[in-house]
Amino acid sequence: MKTIAKSRINEALAILAKESKLLVPMKVNGISKYAPWGSEGTIQFEEVNTLLPPKDTLFPHTEKMYSYKIANQEITELNIHDDSAPQILFGVRPCDMQSIKCMDDVFLTKSYVDDFYKNKREKLITICIGCTKTAPTCFCDSMGVDPSRHEAADVQMYDLGDSYGIEAQTEAGQTVVNKLQELMEDQAGDPTAVSCTLKVDASGIPAKLSTMFEHPIWKEISRKCIGCGTCTYLCPTCYCFDMETTNNGNEGYRFRCWDSCMFSEYSRMAGGHNPRPSKNERIRNRFLHKLEFFNERYGKNLCVGCGRCIAKCPVNVDITLFIDKLKEVAADEPV
Amino acid sequence: MSDTTVKMRDIAKDLLDKGTVHYIIGWEKGRFSNQSPPAFITSAAHADRLIWDEYCLASTAKYLLDDKFPAGKIGIFARGCDARAINRLIQDGQINRENIYIVGICCSGMKDPATGNTADKCQHCTHPNPIVYDILIGDPVPETDKPERFKAIEELEKLSPDEKHAYWSKQFEKCIRCYACRNVCPACNCRECFVDQYRVGWQGKQNNLAENQLFGLTRAYHIADRCIECGECARACPMDLPLMELNRKLIKDINQLFGPYEASLDTETTPPLAKYHLKDLEEFM
Repeated sequence: MKTIAKSRINEALAILAKESKLLVPMKVNGISKYAPWGSEGTIQFEEVNTLLPPKDTLFPHTEKMYSYKIANQEITELNIHDDSAPQILFGVRPCDMQSIKCMDDVFLTKSYVDDFYKNKREKLITICIGCTKTAPTCFCDSMGVDPSRHEAADVQMYDLGDSYGIEAQTEAGQTVVNKLQELMEDQAGDPTAVSCTLKVDASGIPAKLSTMFEHPIWKEISRKCIGCGTCTYLCPTCYCFDMETTNNGNEGYRFRCWDSCMFSEYSRMAGGHNPRPSKNERIRNRFLHKLEFFNERYGKNLCVGCGRCIAKCPVNVDITLFIDKLKEVAADEPV
Repeated sequence: MSDTTVKMRDIAKDLLDKGTVHYIIGWEKGRFSNQSPPAFITSAAHADRLIWDEYCLASTAKYLLDDKFPAGKIGIFARGCDARAINRLIQDGQINRENIYIVGICCSGMKDPATGNTADKCQHCTHPNPIVYDILIGDPVPETDKPERFKAIEELEKLSPDEKHAYWSKQFEKCIRCYACRNVCPACNCRECFVDQYRVGWQGKQNNLAENQLFGLTRAYHIADRCIECGECARACPMDLPLMELNRKLIKDINQLFGPYEASLDTETTPPLAKYHLKDLEEFM
């Protein structure tokens, strides 16, 4: 296997950062996330996944779409924004790599192609690193993700102790790896297999859920939910957004920003009717989206088992406990 | 199992069996040993799910807003902070005391699930014993004033305006506007939050420093004289914003301007910012 000594990783990063914006896992201002290499903060290669997922690399929290100027009720200027640029996402974990695959499905397939996403995605190189340890809240291997690697990444890295094993998995990945040739050695290395301690049995869940829309389980599990958006905003796959306009006199811009199905405003219709009036319906929607609807449309779960929602929910609403509970109840019987 | 847990379960069984309450809000174990989230017990048969340990961090009181016109009495386990939260909701006209049955618990503080040390929210607790209850479990814990809880504020006050701005900007840059702070806060009990008044548009939806600060400051001002110092906002914040520093600065100022005041120790005293006295300071005029 081709390897790079950990002691030379900064040289490798310097090469990668020459032509692209290089994002690495860092602790910035107390929060772990993917941040530009060289910016203020501490690099964290040896940790498990970051608190903030890498989704804003492709799908920013707030994104300008177009700006305009108006004179005499006519549009005099209209600029569609495209802030896409070459980016390398270095050290992304397999769970988060799977989340990028989910977002690809949403933004790039099935009739509508989202140009804002597409432009960024085409210029993104993903360098995945296999996990050699897991957090207590990690359960990716129960959701069909292999914690040691992800086949969709352009480059796959393995932590071999004193060095990183490196394998290109795509043409774009090979181009990146070629740039690092002078740092690479040939070394026998066997990536350590790792397994999550938290396990759930998600088999058969989509089919079972498809008959449980009116089941009393929703009321039971949603009761302690406080209706905040922590789970959705820390989730690497929650991709819902809202679009609004900021207007100042004769000019303004339209933007989109993350939205959360946990908020009442999310499903409020013109005229004030809300088809999801309480947290009961909102939690049901979120879990069905993760475990049923997305499966029906794209053939995979929209939960990648990263465990962020479990770790940070202020009242411990836990999707794995929900899956366990689903196994126990009969689809057509009261809880 | 602790004595308190045993008593909790016995009391819950009794209240549910006799029909005194139709459900009771307490805590149960989560998936991990350092999690004891809120639980809703609807029958005596499930009372053994209840637990009292050092990880019962979440407040129980806010859930009373989910059921403002209950079919029968709601039972609720309440420590000092939960009891003040209940007073808050009663004084703000959100719930009726007659609709709830309070089982008070004397509390000696919870642990931070990440570190195992005393939770931040409990470190500065001035009222560990419930102020209002129907029955009480445990012996009252000694109470102190804890003036040291304003120490961090005094340090912040020494900063120049530019330094203060830089400090708070750095904090609110992190805010993801999940509104967890608002949703756990017993003083945030408006029927419709200004954030959600989308047609008025007080709060823009963009995530940027200006919008984040607008939210944080408006919320702080709106709860200024009603904050019960339960610390739930800072505990719930996934981005670790030191929100209690903001609240305590306002509380400290209120204490200096209008005399010592702690919110929600009863339901009768009008909060200082809700009344007007001719003797009030008007330094800004």
